[in-house]
Formats: sequence, C-alpha cells, structure tokens
Amino acid sequence: MPNAAISLRLQINGHLHDLTVEPRVTLLDALREQFGLTGTKKGCDQGQCGACTVHVDGQRVLACLTLAAQVEGRTVTTIEGLGEEALHPVQAAFLEHDAFQCGYCTPGQIMSAVACIREGHAGTDDEIREYMSGNLCRCGAYPNIVAAIRQAAEASR
Amino acid sequence: MTPRSDVLTESRTKRGDAGDGRALGARITRVDGLAKVRGAATYSLEHRPADLAHAVLVGSTIAAGRVRRVDQSEAEKAPGVRLILTPDTIPALKTASNWLGERPSEGPYHALTHEIGFQGQHVAAVVADTLEQAVEAARLVTIEYDVAPAVADLRDSRAGAGTEVEAMTIAWGDAEAALEAAPAKIRREYTTPREYNVPIEPHGLIAEWQDEDHLTIWEPSQWIAGMARTYAEWFEIPYENLRMISPYIGGGFGSKALAYSYGAIAAQAAKLLGRPVKLAVTRPQTFTAYGGRAETRQEIALGATLEGKLLAIHHRAANETSTTGTWVERCGGTIAIMYATPNFSSKHRVVPVNTVLPSAFRAPGENPSAWGIESAIDELAYEIGLDPLAIRLLNYAEHDHQANLPWSSRQLREAFAAGAERFGWSKRSPAPRSMRAGSQLIGWGVAAGTYPMRRTPGQAIVRLLADGAVEVLSAAIDMGQGTYTILAQTAAEALAVPVERVAVRLGDSSMPWAPVGGGSQLANLMVGAVHKAALAARDELIGLALNDPKSPLRHLQANTLPVGDGRIGDLEIGAFLAAIGRDHIEVLRDTFAENGKSADDPFKTYTTITGGRTTTDNGYSAHSWCAHFIEVRVDEDFGTVRVSRVVSAFDCGRIFNPKLAESQWKGGIIQGIGQALLEEGVVDRRHGRVINNNLGDYLIPTNADVPDIEVISVGVPDFHATMLGGKGVGEVPIVGVAPAIANAVFHATGKRIRDLPITLDKLIG
Amino acid sequence: MRNFAYRRAGSVDDARRAAAEAGAMLLAGGTTLLDLAKCGVAAPETVVDITHLRGLDTIAHDPSGVTIGALAKMSAVATDRGICAHYPAVSEALWQAASAQLRNMATIGGNLMQRTRCAYFRDPVAFPACNKRNPGSGCAAIGGVTRNHAVLGTSQSCIATNPGDLAVALVALDAEIVLGERRVAADAFFLLPGATPQREHAIEPGEIITAIRIPVSAAACNSTYLKVRGRQSYEFAAASAAVGMEFEADGRTIRDIRVALGGVATKPWRVHAVEAVLKGQELSPEAIDRAAALATEGAVIHGDNRTKISLVQRVVARAIINRKPRGIA
Repeated sequence: MPNAAISLRLQINGHLHDLTVEPRVTLLDALREQFGLTGTKKGCDQGQCGACTVHVDGQRVLACLTLAAQVEGRTVTTIEGLGEEALHPVQAAFLEHDAFQCGYCTPGQIMSAVACIREGHAGTDDEIREYMSGNLCRCGAYPNIVAAIRQAAEASR
Repeated sequence: MTPRSDVLTESRTKRGDAGDGRALGARITRVDGLAKVRGAATYSLEHRPADLAHAVLVGSTIAAGRVRRVDQSEAEKAPGVRLILTPDTIPALKTASNWLGERPSEGPYHALTHEIGFQGQHVAAVVADTLEQAVEAARLVTIEYDVAPAVADLRDSRAGAGTEVEAMTIAWGDAEAALEAAPAKIRREYTTPREYNVPIEPHGLIAEWQDEDHLTIWEPSQWIAGMARTYAEWFEIPYENLRMISPYIGGGFGSKALAYSYGAIAAQAAKLLGRPVKLAVTRPQTFTAYGGRAETRQEIALGATLEGKLLAIHHRAANETSTTGTWVERCGGTIAIMYATPNFSSKHRVVPVNTVLPSAFRAPGENPSAWGIESAIDELAYEIGLDPLAIRLLNYAEHDHQANLPWSSRQLREAFAAGAERFGWSKRSPAPRSMRAGSQLIGWGVAAGTYPMRRTPGQAIVRLLADGAVEVLSAAIDMGQGTYTILAQTAAEALAVPVERVAVRLGDSSMPWAPVGGGSQLANLMVGAVHKAALAARDELIGLALNDPKSPLRHLQANTLPVGDGRIGDLEIGAFLAAIGRDHIEVLRDTFAENGKSADDPFKTYTTITGGRTTTDNGYSAHSWCAHFIEVRVDEDFGTVRVSRVVSAFDCGRIFNPKLAESQWKGGIIQGIGQALLEEGVVDRRHGRVINNNLGDYLIPTNADVPDIEVISVGVPDFHATMLGGKGVGEVPIVGVAPAIANAVFHATGKRIRDLPITLDKLIG
Repeated sequence: MRNFAYRRAGSVDDARRAAAEAGAMLLAGGTTLLDLAKCGVAAPETVVDITHLRGLDTIAHDPSGVTIGALAKMSAVATDRGICAHYPAVSEALWQAASAQLRNMATIGGNLMQRTRCAYFRDPVAFPACNKRNPGSGCAAIGGVTRNHAVLGTSQSCIATNPGDLAVALVALDAEIVLGERRVAADAFFLLPGATPQREHAIEPGEIITAIRIPVSAAACNSTYLKVRGRQSYEFAAASAAVGMEFEADGRTIRDIRVALGGVATKPWRVHAVEAVLKGQELSPEAIDRAAALATEGAVIHGDNRTKISLVQRVVARAIINRKPRGIA
C-alpha cells in the first residue's frame, strides 16, 4: 500500500518515541515537524549543506537524506541531546570562540565537530578544515570554528 | 578630518577591549549564543501553531510568455490537498507601497499572474495537511504556456544598452579631455556575474489570522517595520493589526528585508483556509523567489601622470534588472570617493532582462564598484611601474572629492600601514611570476574598500525591574551581527549592571520602532537609542528617589544618587520600587533629535527607507574603510587558486564589541573569497534559466577554502558619524576582497582576470 | 516525492528478489536514491532497505587481494589500514569524495550506482528532454551549459559526466564487481551511453552488488588518486586521475602502469594508450608529457568544456610524477 503510514519506534536522545508516518518522511522532517526537535536545521534538504547533521549510532550523517524508517532500531542523537545538563565541550568552545553568527548552521557544525574529533580527524587545522567541509557556513565563521574544534580536540586528548 | 582632541581622549578610555571593565567595548560573548549552540534558538519557521497546513510553490519553466492553462485536476485528487492557488483563482490584494513609500499603482495586486517575466516565477501554490503531501501534489500541477522570446542576461545579444539612470551620474572637471591629454592611461572592462545571498536558513514564513483583520507573520526579517507595512497594505488592515515576529534570522545578507510575493501567497492561503499556513521556500526556489546581486559591467578609463598621479577617471557602468522593475546596482559609489582625481565622470545604465528583480546583497553597489576601480588602479600601477600600495597612497583622497567635504574620519592610510606591516608587504617581489613555493606560484595583492554610513533614527524601551534586572525592547533584529549582545552591553554600561542582568527582546513589530537591519546601520543606531533610553530610565529612577513623596531616599535631600548593581543609593531597586508602589520603571526614547530629523512621521521614517540621513548631511562625509592584503597560491597547471593568507585592517570607528566585529569582518572577507573564486549564477541562455540553483552547484566557500584571517581595527570614535562614535561594520569587509585576490592572481601568474569569478578555465584556457 | 512502501530486506536473496520487482528500488546509504526522489528523477513504488543485512559490510584482506562488502561505508573503506597500505588510490578517491557525513552514509555498492550530476538530468520539470531519464526524448544538455560535461565517451544521445571518484580508482586497479555468483570487470561494469544512456551499468534485474574485489598488485600499492576542482572540498571533480605504477629494479623503468580518468568522461575512463607508451620506458618529463597527451584521444568538445582536455592531461602527468620513485627527475 504505497500511501499507508507506518508505525515506528525511534530512539532519539535516549528516549523512545512512537511515530506514525508515511514511509517517505525523512528523519529531518520527523525531527522538526513531528517531535519539535527544531535544533536540527533544514538548509538545503538535498545533502549539500550539512545543517541537518545528526548522529546515528554515533556516526555523523545527514538527516535530510535519511528516512525516519531507516533509523528504527538505531540510536539518534541531535543537538538537543548532546549536552542536556552542562554544555558539551564543543558547544562551550563554539561559544567561547564566537564560532557562529546567525547560528543556523551551528547545530550541524557542532554535531559534525563532535564526530570529527571522535573520528580522529581533528589532528591539524588543515585536517579539521577538510573534514568539516561538509558543513557550509554562509556567515563565514570558519576560522573561529577551526579554533573552537582545535581547542576542544586538544582538551579531549 | 581629525576628530577633536577631547573626543580622542574620551575615546581612548571608552574604546575598550577586554581589560577595561566596561560593558560597551568589551569582548563579551554573544548573549544569544547559549541558545544557538544548544539548538534552542527558535527561528521563525520553527514556530508550531496547531493545525498547521503546508504550502508549496510551483514555478514557471519558461522565462517569458503567458500561462495559457493550469491543470490542477491531478493535484486536487492527491491526498491531503486543501487548496490550490493559481493565477485564475488567487484573490486580488491591494498594491502595497514600495520601500520609498510610493504606491506604484492604486490597482489590485496579484501574487500569481498569467504574465511570466522569468524562469521560476511562481505560477501556483498547493496547500496540504503535511509537507510531504504538498510537495508531491505540487509536482502534479501541470502548466501550459505561450512562450515568448526571452532575454537571458546582460550578455545576451538581445539585451541592448538599456536606459541611463540620470540620478547616478557623477561628474566634476572634464574627464574626457583630461583622459585624452593624460600621458599614461588604461581602459578596461570589468564584469561580475549574478551572485546569490544564499543564507543557510532558506526564506519562508508562517501566516496565521487571529480574526479577519488581525494577521501574525512569523518570518525571518531584516526589517520588521518595512515588511509589516507591506503585509498590512496588501490585506488592507491597520498596521497595528499586523504582528511580525522574527526572533532569530538564519542569515540574510540583504535578502530578508522585503516581503516577497510568496509571503502574500501564504497569507492568502491562511486566510482562505482559516488555518495557519507555513510556506518554506525550497533551496532551488531561493534562486528565483527573490533576487541576488545583479550582473554588472563597468568600463573604466584612468588617466595619470607618468609618476602615477591620477588626472582623470572615466566610468561607464551597467547592471541587469528585471523586465518589470528597476534595481540599480550603483557602481559609481566606491570609484567616486576612493582616490583624489581632478576630473571624474561616471554614468550608469540599467538593462532589463528576464530575471527575478535583483536585490541587495552585502555592500550593494560599493562591492562591484570596488571590483572595478581596485582592479583598474592595480593595472595602472603595473603600467607605470609603481608598487600597488604606493599608487594608492600617492592618490590618497584627503577629502571627499565628490561631495567636496571633509571626511568625518578616514583612517585608511592607517589601515594600509597596519595591514602592510602585519602582512610583510615590504618583502614583496614586485615582478609578476617572481614568487614561488614548489610547483605553486605565489601572488600578493592589495585592495581597499569602503561603505557609506546610513543613519536612521531608532527607538527603544528600557525597563528597570524590581529585582534589579533590566529589559531592553526593540523591533530591531539580530541576524548574527550581534544586536542582542551590544544592546545588552549598552544598557549594562549606562545602568552599571552586569551584562547578564540585561534581557534584550528583539524582532517583534509590537515593540518600539527600528529601521531596516541593512546598510550597516542598525547596531550603531540602536546602541544610540538604547543608550539614551537607559540614561533616561536612570534619571527617572533618581528623580523618583529624590522627589516621590513615598521615597525612603527623599530625606537625603541629595542632588543625585548613585545607581548601579541593582541599587539606588544604598537601597535595592526592588525595595525602593516597592516603597513607592511601583513594580518597574519604563521609558521609551527615540533618536530623531540626535539625527537631526523631524519626529512628525515615525511611520514613514521606519517603514520606508526615506527616513535616513544622507552620508554627508552634517558637513562631513561619513564612511567605513578597509584595506585587504591577500596572498594566493596558484597551481598553474590546473588553474586552481588557493587563498593562503589574509590580513585586513578596518576603520569602522568605535567598536562596541571587538569579538563580534571581528567575526563579521572575517565573514565578509570569506564571502569575498567566494565572490572572487567560486560564485556565479550560470544561465542557460536558451531557456533563461539559472541552472546551478542549489548548494552543490552554486559554490560558496567551504571550511577548506578559508585560511586563517587576521583582522585589525584602526578606527577611532567618530562622533560626526554616529552618536556613540561607531561606523558601519557589516558591509565593508566584503568590499575590495575580490580585487585584492584578482590583483594577487595577476602578481602570481601575470594573468589579469577582469571577469569574476576567477575559475580554473580562465587561468588555463 | 511520491510516497512508497518501505520494507527491510531479510536476506540477500530477499534483496535480489526485490531488485527484480517492477517499481522496487534498493535503499542503501540513501544519498543517491532519496536525492533523486526529491528531484523527481526517481519514483519508486517500493523502497527495500538493505542496510540491515548482516555480513555485507566487511573488508577482508587476503594475499591476492581484498574483498569489500557492498554495504561497507565509504568512510570505513577510506580509513581501512589495509586499503591505505595496499590500495592508496582507493582511500584517496574516497576521502576526497562528497563530505564526511555523506561518506558515513553512502555504501561502496551504492557509490558505484550513483547517477550523473548533469543539471539537465536532475531537473525533469524544467528539462523534459533527457535520454537517460526518458529514452528517445532528446538531450537538453547538448547546446546548453556544458562546462562540466564529458569530452570522452559521449554520444549523440548523452554527454553526461560520470561523477565517480572511487569508480575511477577501481577501474585503474582492475577491480571486479561481484554480483552474487557473477563477476564483472569494473571497466565493463560501467557502460557507454551510446544509444541507450538509460542503461549505465552491466547489472541485470534480480542482480545486486554484493562485493568489490580488488586484486593485489605492485601498481596498486604504488597508486594515487589526484582530484582537481575549483572548490577545495565537497565538489565533484573538474578532472581526476587514478594512477598506479610499478618500476623495474632500476627504479626508473616502468614495468606496469594503470591510468584512469574521472570527471571528463561518461564512464570511469581507463586509458590503455597512455599505459602502452609508458610501459617499458624510463620515466622522464618528456615521456610523461607525450603519454599524457594520449589520455584524451578521441575527445569531443561540447560547447564550453574544452578546458577539460588540457586539464585532464595535466592531471595525469602530475599524478604520474607524484608516484615516481624518489630521486628521479
């Protein structure tokens, strides 16, 4: 039945959420429209900007090119689940280094940065630049983003 | 002009940096930052009213012609569809006045029309219960057209020469005669393509009617009052009945200052359905739902002595506009004031083509103008055999030759000196192709930039609360320039409270008036308004303490009382207010008087762009200035250019928060890198269509394209420019970046690129 | 996007059966399928999610080569130690592709199935004519904006560039695509457009990619992938080359060389002519330039893509130089 909705149970930020949606609903739209988790941003909806970066099973991925149905049985972490009490060190470093202006790409940048450090791709400034290139920032906060990630990476070593 | 010495002394103490303990001028962290790093800052389209319906636009696939028929039968049958608007069915609105406050016609306004003027023009809108349903149903709408010939762009042979814009003509002396007689001269053409703002937050809105004449719009907005006016006029409701809410803006760069037709469509849909409607413009639609920077062409002739002293500047410019409206990308701005020349002539034309009406993109006018003159002066330097920095200093304008007025302040010489020093310009090898690293050619380039001071009055409310906290309210906006933060700093300083005790509320038309957040004016103006309101609140508090019959402090019979840290005299403000039977003190102030403007018509002042002062209205010519020093590395085999080092020095007057100003400067420079090397709307001339209408094909810089950037402030407080001595910060950093890069590419390779962007095919072709 | 039924394949056979169903499409990383569904290019009736199949994401090295499961993520293969050591061109092609997020999503098998970035192909509403999407409808790209279109392997039906990076390395290194029982050489897996540009891969209904096999070779060990583009990152190639070389004991005579091109052709483009003139030769700048000039034999220019010819020749030359032994001028 092509138009039938399906029932899903998704684990998001450590909580189980039940959801009935059409199969074509992306994880991004489910987060924003169904769960009100609007920290995950829609910048292009076609895999070209990185604003919708979330973690699925700890890996950074794009929520706009992921179906909600695909992540059933996997764990999803969004910006809202990153540092629920205290700020995550990457969030704190972004704040300290003014690593954003308008703030719209910021949750995606931070989710990407947390993974970038975890992957071991934050060893040098050039490595950070390359491995953060999937997150576009039109305000041009890149130098400050690199500084923030460098600091957070050094602190985590 | 040098500022008065007492002002300078005052400034040194007030200018401030981290250490001086004052709020205004300190490197304070963005007050809205915590919400933004947590994903808790809720942007306009993230508002979630109950029973929300979703609208999706259908765009024209032809560039010129007429809609013959819209077939919506399949779309109507699709699940969840509630409404389909087409040129045949959309109700007429009233034509709204433009940003000058003029109504182009008293006739009706149709947000969807049969007449097509450009590819992507909205032809229909589909509203459904869910976004997915609306997207799919929109795909099922089929449109038949009668196609007419289209003019694709400025370079299209059918475009013609357009029409001259008389108001843009600037002349003094006799440029043509002086050019003819000049011993050294160059004549070159410089062009820029269509460029797009592409804020990462796409445009869109949520429209909700409370009743038949009360409408609320949640929409990212650089200009609450201007956009609210448009909606109110469209729907013929009183301005007060229109509430516009825009707490955060995900970037705008000039593109979010006006209400566009999709806004009218969404609000009409909401009205017809009796339920709130969200219309999110898709990323591809952002290339045609509103315009970016117009394509430009400039022919520049410079005449000079053999020593490099300018004798004449002759400038002929043109930009594309749409077939239905006029946008002037004023290319005569920078070129008319940057250098001293006894003879000058500039004229500007606009050429209608089948495009969406172009609009403002960071430093409109000054940016392409600088691309022309800052490239040309560099070419003249090589022609004559002068260092590119030396020729700029040789022709330094000691005053504004266009207005024949002194500068309010111009620290450009200081910017050149500071930038050159940090960059190491003196170590530059003069000849092109003379610097290398391995297989790469290295080039060093310099260029200057400027942006005029625009100044409109502003208004703010300051509230002193019982717990000692302070509230600041304004319809001003923060799209990342730091308005929340510096207004908190302003109030904190005036009232001697910590910045954390100040809550700033912005982006709501129910709050006091603010002018457009564009033209690099907003922060400066609102700092002035908040400063004035905060001091007035303080005075009112003191007045009550000294004079109110119930005041416990009245017995002191003092002339004044200290206010600070939540206390007046030795009383907690809360205890004092309780004693006099008040729970807060609130004052509203505006800055009409400080800006020499009549306060007769605040509505016109704030809802049009006619309420501002000119750049020169107080006998001084007020502008921000900058100098960029840029190193590029060019792989000559591949034609690839990498910007490897940037040092830029800025004169933006007094800086209220260096941390945030530096971020804006770097951001402007990075957009300049994109403009220089990547950005270009690519037009298929057969169809008049921009075919790279997405972020995978319209390339903006990634993190990997950007080196470390050093920015330096050389400004001094300029009280001729604004009340508290600041000048514009946001626009000027992009101005001059592209020519600095092109100049560096020439120094590296010996190839002069006069047509942006500098793509690899132009270097190896 | 049109709604579809969603189900998860329970086994490889289940996936295979689904691949034979009319209207069904396999979903792996989703980076191509969902993108194209949003563009209106793909409209599956059923989406069969194969990402939960077990055992298809392994990277198994043995003395004669490596077998990479079709569901291994691009990021996992890019950072695999054995891949980096023995097949560096594969790793380099992968980490220079797309973005870190997309590489965490996209699978190796799915990556080989990615479609062209031709703007005319990707916009069915604005450009109804596309022989790839709708055979016989014509080609909207020819005569249009073609700076990113192919100069090699084009036909009158289609000039769309194959966007792959990994595929170029695989073709250079003589990899095989494992379709269950059947194996196809990577070079033969990608089809020329000819008169049937809708058919891009030598894969039959009911077949799925289960693995990729790359044989060990000295040339693979000494291989590189060089990608040139205007933007520093997150962009498709303007031109690229995968080169692998093996030298005789003298350290200068070429015993074996493999060269394939990307970003310039309708399929990953192996250039045997370049290999043939260099094999047995001593490496010299003249020999490299002579050989690189052969890389674009038969090239056809369409509109404004002339630059690709000289560019890819230079990319080939530089890639060869980058892999030459130390101390050779």
